[in-house]
Amino acid sequence: MTATPAPERMHRFDCMRVLAPMLKNELVILSLGASVDEWYTAAPHMRQASLFQQQLGCVTPQAFGLAVGLPHRRVVSLDTDGGMMFNLGILATLANEQPKNLLVVVWDNECYQSIGGPPTHTAQGRVDIAAIARGAGIAEAHTARTLDDFEALCRRGLVADVPFVIVAKVSQESFRDVRRKHSDGREDKYIFVRHVEATEGIVIMGPSEHN
Amino acid sequence: MTPQAVEAVIAGLKAAGVSVVCYLPDSLFKELYPALDADPGIRTIRVTNEGEGAAICGGVFLSGKRAALVMENSGLRASIEPLARMGMGAGIPVVMLMSYRGDLGENNWWAVPHGMTMEPLLTAMRIPYRVVDEAEKAKQAIQDAVTWSYASYYHSAVALTGGLVR
Repeated sequence: MTATPAPERMHRFDCMRVLAPMLKNELVILSLGASVDEWYTAAPHMRQASLFQQQLGCVTPQAFGLAVGLPHRRVVSLDTDGGMMFNLGILATLANEQPKNLLVVVWDNECYQSIGGPPTHTAQGRVDIAAIARGAGIAEAHTARTLDDFEALCRRGLVADVPFVIVAKVSQESFRDVRRKHSDGREDKYIFVRHVEATEGIVIMGPSEHN
Repeated sequence: MTPQAVEAVIAGLKAAGVSVVCYLPDSLFKELYPALDADPGIRTIRVTNEGEGAAICGGVFLSGKRAALVMENSGLRASIEPLARMGMGAGIPVVMLMSYRGDLGENNWWAVPHGMTMEPLLTAMRIPYRVVDEAEKAKQAIQDAVTWSYASYYHSAVALTGGLVR
């Protein structure tokens, strides 16, 4: 008797290529690691509208803060299993606050890929981030294992008026043929803030009193 | 806190343009939190730990709105990691208003570490701060902190102590 081979995991870059064309006026905050350059390559039209943050545990809280400040604008958090496990409390806060304009995607590759791939807590198959999110009170928290499922969930999540979480179970491989982002966190912030200012018609970082 | 002290703090936040407050409640600011919740001009967000609140405040900054993180000074310890990454790595500021647990006059043994660590941690993080013990000075201190953070794009803090919080 032969064992049934495990179904092949989705690739994160393929998921990004599914999500990217759906985005136009949205704002994106994303996590660290290889996903930074993958998103930079997969969504060139969203580069100025994406804040690339090397901040484990900060991504979804920052995206939520942005969503609070711009309630008329859809915000997308591209978080990770390691980042979400670092600060699970944000799921409870999202459940209580019920933002109407926040989609959270968790790239769950079951490893800390950027440091060589040691396992995260989801690797043993017991820890289910979508179930944790539902337990925290986020009714729309789902796991995607195929690109079709991922696409359908993104379509729902981008128009939902409740917090929407998609845990995308992806492979541990990163897409190698990417264009590297050259900017650091400080330049990324300026690019992002100037984009928000231009598209919202507001001033966030204004001139000093004297030159 | 006396009603006058609560009023001074909220007046300071409003004068500084703060419209979002993230908080994790503590005992010294006990009277402040319900007053913030009740104020129609301020959206309060209760967080599970202060580091999460710091990150939410950072996100609010990126939206063009102004936020403050209100907490006991022990929350500074929980916030150091996101503060270092956001402030030093990206120039995303967080304005903090904290109760000074463990200051002289403290009569709880468990609060002594809060006092011993607060100012050295603020100094290590190069976060300028003002310690205020009079209601008349609270409003200006909060305004000054926000002004400084919007010039430096770095964190600032106001710690309330003495008769202001007891």
